[in-house]
Amino acid sequence: MPEEKQLTEQESLQLITSMIQKVKGGYHENGTGPILWGTVVSIASFVTYLQREYLFDLPFDIWLIVMAAIIPQIIMVRKERRTRPHIKYEDEAINAVWIVYALTIFGLTAYQAIVPEVSANLLKEEGWQMMKHVLDNSKPDEVLTPFTPSLYSIYILVYAFPTLVTGITKKFTPMLVGSGIAYTCFIISLYTASKYDFLLGAVTAITCWFIPGLILRKRYLAQKRQHV
Amino acid sequence: MFKELDPILHSQLRLAVMSLLISVKEADFTYIREKTNATAGNLSVQVQKLKEAGYIDVLKQFKDNYPQTTCKITPKGIEAFESYVKALQEYLKVE
Repeated sequence: MPEEKQLTEQESLQLITSMIQKVKGGYHENGTGPILWGTVVSIASFVTYLQREYLFDLPFDIWLIVMAAIIPQIIMVRKERRTRPHIKYEDEAINAVWIVYALTIFGLTAYQAIVPEVSANLLKEEGWQMMKHVLDNSKPDEVLTPFTPSLYSIYILVYAFPTLVTGITKKFTPMLVGSGIAYTCFIISLYTASKYDFLLGAVTAITCWFIPGLILRKRYLAQKRQHV
Repeated sequence: MFKELDPILHSQLRLAVMSLLISVKEADFTYIREKTNATAGNLSVQVQKLKEAGYIDVLKQFKDNYPQTTCKITPKGIEAFESYVKALQEYLKVE
């Protein structure tokens, strides 16, 4: 661009428009975050389904792999921020949505871990307890710890939320489709036994994150090749 | 009576830089150079002029042992850019 070139008004307007368009196209994320989360959540969901369907236990809680994925995710986000050529306003907003999403998932996990025992104690204080009674009396009654039926449906609903926001803001069709599938899985999960909810959760994780992540990765690598 | 166009903005490279920075929260010097097709020397001079006018903030730091210059538009810069676009619209009679 020549130095200090004086512009006509028309040229100025054209220049402003073309520069704004250049920012709109541009940089693609590398997709490793969505691929990582899509992988760990779908594996954990699918293994949980298998555990419930075929009644076996692993020596560890499979959901620990989701917790373990937080460390590489933090490293990747920091590295990505360092190498990123620019930060858009929409990126800040989307990051905020994903932080709120993470807090919501932690909140739900805490709810799931704490509420049943606290509820059981409160009921005990009131002088009653929940019992499981088999209608045909084929088994004796047994004490039941309070639980939230089909809670994983709520997780599926929460998975859809940041995905839809990202899809709308970034105009990224794979995430729009993914969130549409997630809402469909949520509705189906309302009518299915809780073990199948985990299967629907695995489908949600694959369509919301894993597949969009692979598409992002492909675009990122294509962009990188252009710049080499 | 037409409003006079801001002479700081009414130059090709400075206007290109401001048009980029109005669309993002912050941008790397190399990214701006790539998008504007300017030489590093020329861009440095124009960035300095925008900085002196108070239209942009320039942050120089080291990342992974490499110097990195980040530019960010200031509230004064946003105001000047908006006035400039309004003035252009008046000249060109566009809404």
